[in-house]
Amino acid sequence: MRSGTRNRELAALVPVALLLTAGFAAVFAQESSRLGNLSVIYGAYFFAVCLATHIYLRIRLPDADPYLFPLMALLTAFGLVMIYRIDESLARDQANWFVLGLVLFALTIQFLRDYEILERYRYTIAAIGLLILMAPRLPGIGEQVNGAYLGVKVGPLSFQPAEFSKIAIVIFLASYLRENREVLIVGARRILGVTLPPLKHFGPMLVVWGASMFMLVFIRDLGSSLMFFAAFLALLYVATGRFSFVVIGMAMFVVGAWFFATTVPHVHQRVEIWLHPYHDPRGAGYQILQSIFAQADGGLFGKGFGQGLITIPGAHPPAALLPAAQTDTIYSLIVNELGLFGACGVILIYLLIAARGFKVALLANDGFSKLLATGLTAVFSIQAFVIIGGVTRVIPLTGVTLPFVSYGGSSIVANFVLLALLLLVSDRARREAVQPAGRDLALGVT
Amino acid sequence: MAYDPISVALKFGFLAVLYLFLLVIARSAFKDLRRTTSPAPDATGFHSAPGFAEAPGGVDAWLVVERGGGLERDQRFDLIGGLSIGRSKDSDVQIEDRYASGLHARVFERGGRYFVEDMNSTNGTLLNGATLKGEAELIDGDTVQIGDTEFRLEVQ
Repeated sequence: MRSGTRNRELAALVPVALLLTAGFAAVFAQESSRLGNLSVIYGAYFFAVCLATHIYLRIRLPDADPYLFPLMALLTAFGLVMIYRIDESLARDQANWFVLGLVLFALTIQFLRDYEILERYRYTIAAIGLLILMAPRLPGIGEQVNGAYLGVKVGPLSFQPAEFSKIAIVIFLASYLRENREVLIVGARRILGVTLPPLKHFGPMLVVWGASMFMLVFIRDLGSSLMFFAAFLALLYVATGRFSFVVIGMAMFVVGAWFFATTVPHVHQRVEIWLHPYHDPRGAGYQILQSIFAQADGGLFGKGFGQGLITIPGAHPPAALLPAAQTDTIYSLIVNELGLFGACGVILIYLLIAARGFKVALLANDGFSKLLATGLTAVFSIQAFVIIGGVTRVIPLTGVTLPFVSYGGSSIVANFVLLALLLLVSDRARREAVQPAGRDLALGVT
Repeated sequence: MAYDPISVALKFGFLAVLYLFLLVIARSAFKDLRRTTSPAPDATGFHSAPGFAEAPGGVDAWLVVERGGGLERDQRFDLIGGLSIGRSKDSDVQIEDRYASGLHARVFERGGRYFVEDMNSTNGTLLNGATLKGEAELIDGDTVQIGDTEFRLEVQ
């Protein structure tokens, strides 16, 4: 079982490296009209890095889920090829971030083997998570991008705190709900056919709701706000099994978001662009419209790697045909160059990651592990939904990154830490599932 | 554009390998799922799935089905976190009993002792055959009757 699990991971990493090589080869073939062996070298580098990580996992977490790492490596490969095709130097940065992310991934596994310790420091973790979330509003280090306060810049380093605080907040919520789920269920009353949580335990729910509304106003980012709150509702649902709580929560979010969308100018503007992009097609609506045109232009199979247009040819000064192609609209570029099939492939990767993640939660043997795995999976998938939904005009476009694909150090590094936690939970759960004694005990009751 | 055929071949090759890869992973995920799915003994929600049962403190008391309610005789429900009993889907112990209310009664632990409380049900709850008013303590072997459904408390 043990070596089998890891062998499957190794086997899955080979096609991932092949895909990266093929992607680079296609880009080179297009750009310089020559096929060198550079793509093979890049592919070999990539495979070597993945192999090193794989060997580390073989030693440290022999029973962890075999497909989570290859799936995320595949997303990274997508990102590297696409970013390289946009700008070589950005791709070099991204590759460095990828390696740094894997180092942090290894460190997390090394030092958080007993991840229950996180439960003990949950209030500290929550406080740090919220503090760094607000850091972008601090004068001097805060950075405002397109009206939203998302980045922090200290000297040459800049990072997006929301990427890290999402993990902190999930850890806190998992721990909090593990302890309080019983009271939330038992104290629930039915009023007019709706099961309401007990009033005094309703407090924390209001706090989380307040926090996400606060983010909407303070950081002015609908995407992060939605991401955090949806992850919270997913956790609440899994912890209590009460669908009515989720409905109440969603209603609260919609009311709050609607209120702020009509009163806060920045949020209002985002919603306006979303609903009526043609009011200002060369200004505010430009990005979303170009994003949709790029996707439509891709057709079924796309134009091929390196063949999509990102900048307007011959324009002086250079003008972007697809603004923020390496971050916000990278998904549109993938659709443009690989078509509907490529797009479905990317979405399938996220779906499979979500499936594997929830599987980890199903197998986990204690409440905290279950909720942690659920929360991490939920926040990761919802992030993908928020940005893919944004560029396809399902929801207003916001500056959330496409996990592992978009250019950005914080995003890559934070998501590898998230993966490390998920694998830690998975390793323990699967090891315990193999030993029948623990399993029978867990099944005997109910 | 001299390399166009190569680009096209690479593109389709890429998509083909991508989908094959995803297919293999999806298939193995399905296989995994079939192998590890344990029959869910109740349909009341995830919260009573195995795992949550092992909350700190351990399980030491159960509500055991004696008869009725559309439940299997000797089916056990652990008391960790308390149990709500009723006809509604939201109850921890969902019973099919025409005399039961949506949320009929609850059984819970407090300070190492066990209690049953009638939640203002229409037809009432019987504790060892006598009508229960408000809440009352339960000891090992006590029976709780709701309509035609009967439970027994079992303490380890």
